[in-house]
Amino acid sequence: MKTIKLMLFASVALVMFSGCNKILQEDPKASLTPATYFKTQSDLDGAVSAMYVVLARDGSWGFTSKETSYFGSDDLTTDPGLNKQDSRDFDRLSGGSDNSSMEAQWQGPWACIYQANNVISNYQKVNSTDALKAASAGQAYFLRGLCYYYLVRTFGEVPLVLGTIDPNSRPPRADVASVYASIISDLKTAKGMLSTTLQQGIPSTYSASAILADVYQTMGGWPLNQASNYALAAAEANVVMQAGVYNLNTPYDQVFTTNNSSESIFALQYNVAASLPQRSYGSTNVPLDEVALNGSSGWDDVYPELNFFRNAPVCTRTNLTFYTTLKIRNADNVTFTLYPWDDSHTHARHPYYKKFRAGLNGDGVSETATTILSINPSTNKAYDIMRYPQVLLNYAESSDMAGGAPTAAGYAAINMVRARAGEAPLTPGLSQLAFRDSVVYERAYECAGEFGVRWFDIVRLQLLPAVVAARDPSENAIPPGVNIQEKYIAPIPYSEMILNPSWKQNPGY
Amino acid sequence: MKKLLFMLFLWCMTFGSYAALALGKSEISISPHQQVAISGKIKDSKGEPIPGVTVRVEGTNLGTISDSQGNFRLNADADAVLLFTFVGYTPRRIPLNGQVNINVVMEEAATTLNEVVAIGYGSQKRSDIVGSYGSVSAKEIAKRPLDNVSQALQGTVSGVAVTSQSGQPGQGPSIIIRGVNTITGGTGPLFVIDGNIGAGGDVNVNDVASVEVLKDAAATAIYGSRGSNGVILITTKTGQSGKTQINFSTWIQKAEIPKELDLMDAYDFARSVNAQNAAVGTAEPFTQAQLDAYKTNGGTDWQRALQVKPTVENYQLDVSGGSDKTTYRVSLNYLDQPGLILNQWYKQTRFKSTLDTKINDRMDLKIYITASLPQSHNNTYGGGLGDPFNQAAEWSPLSPIRNPDGTFVQSSQYGSIQPNPIAQALSQASDDSQTNLNGQVSFTYRIINDLTFTSNDVYSIGSDLQQQVYGPGTANYVSGSDYAQDNYNKSHGYLTSNYLTYKKTLGDHSFNITAGYEQSQDENVNFQAKSTNLSTYSLGYYNLALGGTQQTSSGYSADALISYFARAIYSYKGKYELAASIRDDGSSHLIDKYSSFPSLGLSWDVAKEDFLKNSNIFSDLRIKATYGQTGNQSVGAYSSIAQITTAGNPSTGYYFSGYGGPASNATFLGTPAPTSLKWEVKTSYDLSIDMAFLKGRLTFTADGYTNKVNNLLYAVPIPQYLGGGTVQKNIGSIGNKGLEFAIGGTPVVTSRFKWTTNFNVSMNRNKVLSLEGLDNISDGYGIIKVGQPLGEFYGYKFLGTWKTDEASQAALYGMKPGDAKFQDLNGDHAYTSADYQPIGNATPRYTYGFINDFSYDRFTLSFMFQGEQGNEIYSQTLAYLWGGLGDNNNAELEAAVPENLWTPAHQTNNPAWSTTSHNYNNSSRYVYNASYAKLKNLSIAYHIPEDLLKRVHIRNLEVYVSGQNLFTITKYPGYDPEVFNGNTTNDQGQEFGVIPNPRTYTVGFRLGL
Repeated sequence: MKTIKLMLFASVALVMFSGCNKILQEDPKASLTPATYFKTQSDLDGAVSAMYVVLARDGSWGFTSKETSYFGSDDLTTDPGLNKQDSRDFDRLSGGSDNSSMEAQWQGPWACIYQANNVISNYQKVNSTDALKAASAGQAYFLRGLCYYYLVRTFGEVPLVLGTIDPNSRPPRADVASVYASIISDLKTAKGMLSTTLQQGIPSTYSASAILADVYQTMGGWPLNQASNYALAAAEANVVMQAGVYNLNTPYDQVFTTNNSSESIFALQYNVAASLPQRSYGSTNVPLDEVALNGSSGWDDVYPELNFFRNAPVCTRTNLTFYTTLKIRNADNVTFTLYPWDDSHTHARHPYYKKFRAGLNGDGVSETATTILSINPSTNKAYDIMRYPQVLLNYAESSDMAGGAPTAAGYAAINMVRARAGEAPLTPGLSQLAFRDSVVYERAYECAGEFGVRWFDIVRLQLLPAVVAARDPSENAIPPGVNIQEKYIAPIPYSEMILNPSWKQNPGY
Repeated sequence: MKKLLFMLFLWCMTFGSYAALALGKSEISISPHQQVAISGKIKDSKGEPIPGVTVRVEGTNLGTISDSQGNFRLNADADAVLLFTFVGYTPRRIPLNGQVNINVVMEEAATTLNEVVAIGYGSQKRSDIVGSYGSVSAKEIAKRPLDNVSQALQGTVSGVAVTSQSGQPGQGPSIIIRGVNTITGGTGPLFVIDGNIGAGGDVNVNDVASVEVLKDAAATAIYGSRGSNGVILITTKTGQSGKTQINFSTWIQKAEIPKELDLMDAYDFARSVNAQNAAVGTAEPFTQAQLDAYKTNGGTDWQRALQVKPTVENYQLDVSGGSDKTTYRVSLNYLDQPGLILNQWYKQTRFKSTLDTKINDRMDLKIYITASLPQSHNNTYGGGLGDPFNQAAEWSPLSPIRNPDGTFVQSSQYGSIQPNPIAQALSQASDDSQTNLNGQVSFTYRIINDLTFTSNDVYSIGSDLQQQVYGPGTANYVSGSDYAQDNYNKSHGYLTSNYLTYKKTLGDHSFNITAGYEQSQDENVNFQAKSTNLSTYSLGYYNLALGGTQQTSSGYSADALISYFARAIYSYKGKYELAASIRDDGSSHLIDKYSSFPSLGLSWDVAKEDFLKNSNIFSDLRIKATYGQTGNQSVGAYSSIAQITTAGNPSTGYYFSGYGGPASNATFLGTPAPTSLKWEVKTSYDLSIDMAFLKGRLTFTADGYTNKVNNLLYAVPIPQYLGGGTVQKNIGSIGNKGLEFAIGGTPVVTSRFKWTTNFNVSMNRNKVLSLEGLDNISDGYGIIKVGQPLGEFYGYKFLGTWKTDEASQAALYGMKPGDAKFQDLNGDHAYTSADYQPIGNATPRYTYGFINDFSYDRFTLSFMFQGEQGNEIYSQTLAYLWGGLGDNNNAELEAAVPENLWTPAHQTNNPAWSTTSHNYNNSSRYVYNASYAKLKNLSIAYHIPEDLLKRVHIRNLEVYVSGQNLFTITKYPGYDPEVFNGNTTNDQGQEFGVIPNPRTYTVGFRLGL
């Protein structure tokens, strides 16, 4: 009896225990995997959107941290105290590789390149029309080229990752010329794939040409110094000008308070409600002395250097660019007293940027001439990476540098920008270099405070000695001993260096 | 409240049905009482009288204690049964059978070694256990007003470091057994409750009969891949046959934050702001008249404004009883615990019913039903920059809390730029409500006399609803990102353990063999709905359709584990024991799914050898040596599968047309998948000695161990060009070695007075042995570095300030006297990451506990000290309050007033305000010695005399008052040396705005009917 029971039991147990090893196979039901993805155009659209999100968001290009290493420029400075050490260090040409704000400049473009490579590697797999597939891939090539362009100008040599690579591989840093070659290839490919019809938020074929013109012009200067590229730059800029789809009809101040104006060539789009705020407008540009009626106050992150402001041309654009009368709330918490920027009642005694205050129609700073209603850090303002005035000025400069003397068309281009700024036409008959310097000066004020535009002019034309010499002694002091020549490129972030043991840090860091 | 009522209803129903079941089977006999006087004398085996023996009449509350001559006297029925109990002696049960004068001989029990305790998949006499165990009894647990069983381990078991990492209500402590054995995933042990593996530590302390802590691999290897952090076995109480017993107990507690930081008042703060402005050449904002005004009014004390002193209430009710064949126990627990800051609470309702029935001679069935219903409101402040508790220290004393019109001040010109802490605390709601239900069946079947089959089957379901609203008054509202959100998570899973146990004794040889199969699966689904910019917040989070932008997301995860295990224990003459086990585990999370975990242990009971048999000194001497392997699969589900991720946050997609336009869907390529993933394997060796002297009056235990973990799993950061983030890899090894000592004793016993004392101390040394090519892994302010222990802090070494005579040297760094000075390791006259170095460590070198009980008559005084020695804390809280990170805004410590900072005349080591100085947060300036000794508990209890209680039909009644964390001996200048917000191995000891553990005063009683 015992034995029978035992046998019976053993057989039941055996059935129960018979291996169900298949339960150890994982099936991530809620996650898409690369193996099953990229079947339809809609899959491709999702991957395309991802490129923009990772580039636009906070930690990438959503906040002023995206220009941390550009603070050595004269259009950017920050508070001598407060929590501005990261940008202040670069303002003093003393930033280090462990600067955490600077990581946005590294991570943002790479995150976008990673997603762009995903699109480029897979777009042909989807079941869709060739036109739609090309439109998607064109955006990926455009963004990849754009991101490498920011990386190479900011950090110098960077690895060229142009597809899916093994997670264990650690590619070397490619030389600057190779990176530029890749950028040009990407932008040319994009130019052929992107649409000639303007669509909000999406680059057109002209966006690719405009960036390409800027790339060529930069290649004419430091560090490649390939003067032959100026002609190519002028030609690409001319493509955009001849298309006739952009104009300067929008008043200067409205370019910064409305989205996607008639001169916007490529802009990142923002939406606070969807947790995608643009925070380079609003609070970040407001002095901390200013407190709004609702109690919100400024962050005091970014403002221009004194002599940059003092040297500005006298024109309406200058008045619309700089904020020179501070509104300080009185003890009654209701009324304000107006103080000029250099009054002893202001703590920083600097002017600020007016054009970045309002955000989109006042969702940044909402104010009247005498009262500040509210100051918000998060705005819905689209962020212009490339505006039509830049194309005009690039054309003016490149055509001048390519041909040995300014051209009539070049004069016409810069004078369009000057006209909208409220300036008289540029003195005729300037020499090649005098004309070039006039364009650089014009660009400094047309694009004052805008995402690295002025800094990259300083870099490619090696202007740091002049900029440092022109610096007001009351600005954040540059320590003695700083080798200015080493400060045109930023250090590779420490966090990335330790993951790439074979890399050598940029000299001076 | 509704939930509570529901639970009460459930409880009554269950109790009613069990009671009916039990009563139906029991024979109730009421015999006539005939009381006679009984007297007698109690002696030990050598004929010496034993004073202080408790004598009780079985089944009644009658009892007495023997006098100094061992005599006793009481009244009882002529046919009553007397029970004799005394520490260190085997209890005796003697039926009177008409005798009125009896002499009793009590045998010394060597120790408590004869009790049967749980081991993995079985039970064993404590004396026969080969591995290293620690225990906590229900009696020890009852001494403190605990709301979590894990707290009972603090200070009571050697080798177990328990720290309450936060004073938030409902927060369980962290438990680390014999050092940290992983650099990824949790460091907490595996909980096994009545055979339910991985049940978590959520147990009603009133349900716990005993807690066993399995420390070495010989004990834990039977749990294989889940055992490397140690195992905690909890056995819960069951009903006893006989009369129905009802127990009710409660405690009420007043809690408070034990310490406030010494911060600047308005006058000092305004002076400090002036000094900061003067240092950078900007205008001083405050005139002398304004300063004087601030001196008079003092400003806002934000710490005080945020803190509350809550009353915590806890109620326990249980009913148990049964017949010979069936017993039952039903319990209910309710805890109401408001937080230490405004608008925060935790409530817990727990229910458990246990039914144990003998189906026949060979079959036994136990059924457990457990419910746990925690609810919380705003107890999500884990520490961090924006947490209200942190901001209460950083907000400007110059700013009022509210505007004259009653609305909250949203920002302040000076002080912190983070949200107003009072506004945030009062305006937000982050609510969590969980339902965790557990049904378990334990079936045992004695197939033949020596062979038993056991099946332990658990089914668990859980749901978790999280609801949040960040509307008016919150920082989100001010910035336009206000929202309401509902999250729902539902989980279910099963565990089935089936094993055969064969026990046989043949002459001097005895065998105990177990072999089995186990399988478990869990599944989780969740969804989230979020609504932004609601048109009105009057409905809170209840109507998400009011939002301008609505987002949804959902998720799924599942995992499975398959295991085979076997164990053989062989004993020769009861003196020599050999135990060996093996477990084979397969996990769904890994690429290399299966691995085997063996163990081997030897034990020698020296006291049973002839040369010690008759020793007057040794009553016990036992030596054990063990070896074993355990594992850890601390990676999450799907770690080995590359994924396309979707964005719940920051947005559902990209808004090509920007604000107001439609959202596109966005799908992101996730980080690359790893190419290989296998178990972490820990190999351990343990040598221990147990000694008992003088009939168990003095006990001593010593353990020495060493272990090494290979194949360490780590989420290795990958370069940004690979997408950033991390990839799981097996990357290296770490080792732990340690010593543990425990001494217990009963120094004094008289008939009325008894003192028992226990002291335990543990030391663990941890070291990273290799990281497979990586020299170190640094993450934030922590570093994992080969040759160094885990928990290492990393940053600049602070050397004070540059002094006036060092001006020329300081200039090389672009600095001047008064600026902060750090060690420049590479001598390049710049402070860069190349100058980072290890600057402190979070792990204690020693942990200890000291427990004492004094009982006199019916009074018992208990106290317990617990402490850690040699640990350090990296305080971000204090870094900010010193004005770290170059952020002078938050310099609010009273110690940072201008006269304490460097001046040419007064060259202190506190850097002056300066444009050239660097006040790096990650410097040794903010690393503090956090050694501490805490009076964890002090209590006085009084047992009301039974004869008084009998008149009102009360079985027993005990009342007590106690205090917890009454004082702390420490040099640490922050709130509490026990708390920090690092939860991973790499950021332990890093503290940032964590709410400290409360000091509490408790009154309570326990009533038995």
